[in-house]
Amino acid sequence: MYNENLLNNLSFKEYRLDKLKKYNKLQIPKWKRINLQDFDIPDYREYNNLQLPGHEDLDIRDMGTVKEDINEFTRYLRVNEEFGVDKKFVTLTEALSNSGVIIKIEKNKRISEPIRLDFKMDNDNPLLLDHNLIIAKRNSELTVVMDYTSNTKVFHSGVTKVYAEDNSNVTIIKLQRMDEDSDDFDSNIAIVGRDAKVNWVSIELGGKITASSFITNLKEDNSKADLKSIYFGDKDMEIDVQYKMNHFGRRSESNINTKGALKDRAKKVFRGDLDFKKGASRSKGEEEEYVLLLDKTVKSDAIPALICGEDDVEGEHAASAGQINELKLFYLMSRGISESQAKKMIVEASFKPVIDKIPYEDLKEKVEENIHRRLIDEKS
Amino acid sequence: MNKKILDIKNLRSKVDETEILKGLDLEMNKGEIHIMMGPNGAGKSTFANVLMGHPKHEIIDGEIIFNDKIINDLSVDKRAKEGMFLSFQYPEEIPGVTVENFLRNAKMTLTGENQGVFAFRKVLKEKMKLLEMDESYASRYLNQGFSGGEKKKNEILQMVVLEPKLAILDETDSGLDIDAIRIVSNGVKAFSNDDNAILVITHYNKILDYLEPDFVHILVDGKIVKTGGIKLAREIEEKGFEEFK
Ligand SMILES: Nc1ncnc2c1ncn2[C@@H]1O[C@H](COP(=O)(O)OP(=O)(O)OP(=O)(O)O)[C@@H](O)[C@H]1O
Ligand SMILES: [Mg+2]
Repeated sequence: MYNENLLNNLSFKEYRLDKLKKYNKLQIPKWKRINLQDFDIPDYREYNNLQLPGHEDLDIRDMGTVKEDINEFTRYLRVNEEFGVDKKFVTLTEALSNSGVIIKIEKNKRISEPIRLDFKMDNDNPLLLDHNLIIAKRNSELTVVMDYTSNTKVFHSGVTKVYAEDNSNVTIIKLQRMDEDSDDFDSNIAIVGRDAKVNWVSIELGGKITASSFITNLKEDNSKADLKSIYFGDKDMEIDVQYKMNHFGRRSESNINTKGALKDRAKKVFRGDLDFKKGASRSKGEEEEYVLLLDKTVKSDAIPALICGEDDVEGEHAASAGQINELKLFYLMSRGISESQAKKMIVEASFKPVIDKIPYEDLKEKVEENIHRRLIDEKS
Repeated sequence: MNKKILDIKNLRSKVDETEILKGLDLEMNKGEIHIMMGPNGAGKSTFANVLMGHPKHEIIDGEIIFNDKIINDLSVDKRAKEGMFLSFQYPEEIPGVTVENFLRNAKMTLTGENQGVFAFRKVLKEKMKLLEMDESYASRYLNQGFSGGEKKKNEILQMVVLEPKLAILDETDSGLDIDAIRIVSNGVKAFSNDDNAILVITHYNKILDYLEPDFVHILVDGKIVKTGGIKLAREIEEKGFEEFK
């Protein structure tokens, strides 16, 4: 139970108050799928680690420190439908966000260099509730890279709302490289306009419990969305990913492509929905998940679903899990390469197309190094 | 001075409870080129795989002595380190791993020495030129989308770069056009020296014209039933394997 006094100095007070009331009424969820039980949400703390990037062509504000209510943005904060990993975590962040950004790009502006946000968590900043609002006006283009890291056990619950208005193109690249004892809950939603496109890239590497949800509403004719993700789980990690493409508009198109690898006793649940609503005629959706099981002790579930409220649509879904192909392994090893090196090569190769989407060399290297280190760690 | 590189005695193997090699004997010396022929399903690829240490094939009897060392229990990567190489009948496609990166890694593992990127690239380009392969293949993913013939050429490229002591070529000539057979054969011939040995599994005599082998072996039903010179291959070409079955 959080006290309303916490909201005294914060912006969007009315909105936050409403969310706090909802939050206080909700139970902390129990998930059988990844064994989330008796979970405690830590006490409120400030977060003071975000360096706001500047850009002359952009309106960027810090959600944590903005003091005034900016009416223009309030309507974007409100999303009518349910989304996210769980209502409890979403309302927590909506009510008490201690960080996050509001980024607005004006119509016809196209910014090719990405905007980078480093969310660093540490002993002084062990709680991050970032609420992000990204608004791309008509015919604009923007890329935002969000890198979440921690060097100690922390708690993260994030909410990101993306509005891609007509004919805009928005790319959101999220990296989660938190410490192995941390808990991570990340909820994302995008609303995509006519002829607009949202590209999600999600790289999940850290955390003890890591739950993420990406919902995309393809609202109008020719709305498009693309989601590429990788995850790597080792030790006793529990990974819960949910991707959902809601097709409303005609000729809307979506694509989900996920690659993962699990090692030691890691556990993963993948849920991917292609939901064609009535009226979404001639829409197309595709989803594919492939996971490499590096040890017999891992657990992997995949639940891809195709929901058709409309006949005139094309949907394809596939999920598969496998050991590394024995013949491929033999082939690589026949050139002198050891078994662990060969497995590493195959995993890294399958992740590479997604890692290559990161527009910063230093981050790319850190991601590769992270995976590399954990792959050669024989038994943990 | 010829020195024994491979000595196989009474080799028997099984895969999924089926016995395939049924007492195979073979000796090879350094500097020699051997040909192995035999009907479909005789066990030629099985033999190549057993030699290389494929985990699906179990040795149930006999010994493989390679460079004076019994290697029955060595894993495939260790055998490669000892100097064995197999050019696969059906090379695997490995998406995401480029030919150049893979070969550089393999070369480093095999030699235990660092291979500078540029120095290695230079060597690779020379060898590709020799095999009349376009340089662009170096940055393509290993065998991915390669045509049948291109895959075979890429196997030989790997052989000449990795410089094994014993190379087993399993039907490397199948699927190659006339010009490619000439190019590959010349590559193999140039690779052959007093310090290595080559075992060529084939169905066709074309490659023999280039290679001038020392021995021709006929494998039928898991055993070598006859060994001879190039004349034996000519006989087979005319009469088939009927008399050996
Ligand atoms: N897993 C298996 N279980 C049972 N029999 C098998 C298995 N794998 C291979 N064989 C059999 O072993 C025999 C030898 O196969 P192999 O591939 O070695 O023949 P080959 O001489 O290379 O033939 P080809 O000239 O057609 O390449 C074949 O009869 C094949 O069907
Ligand atoms: Mg064969």
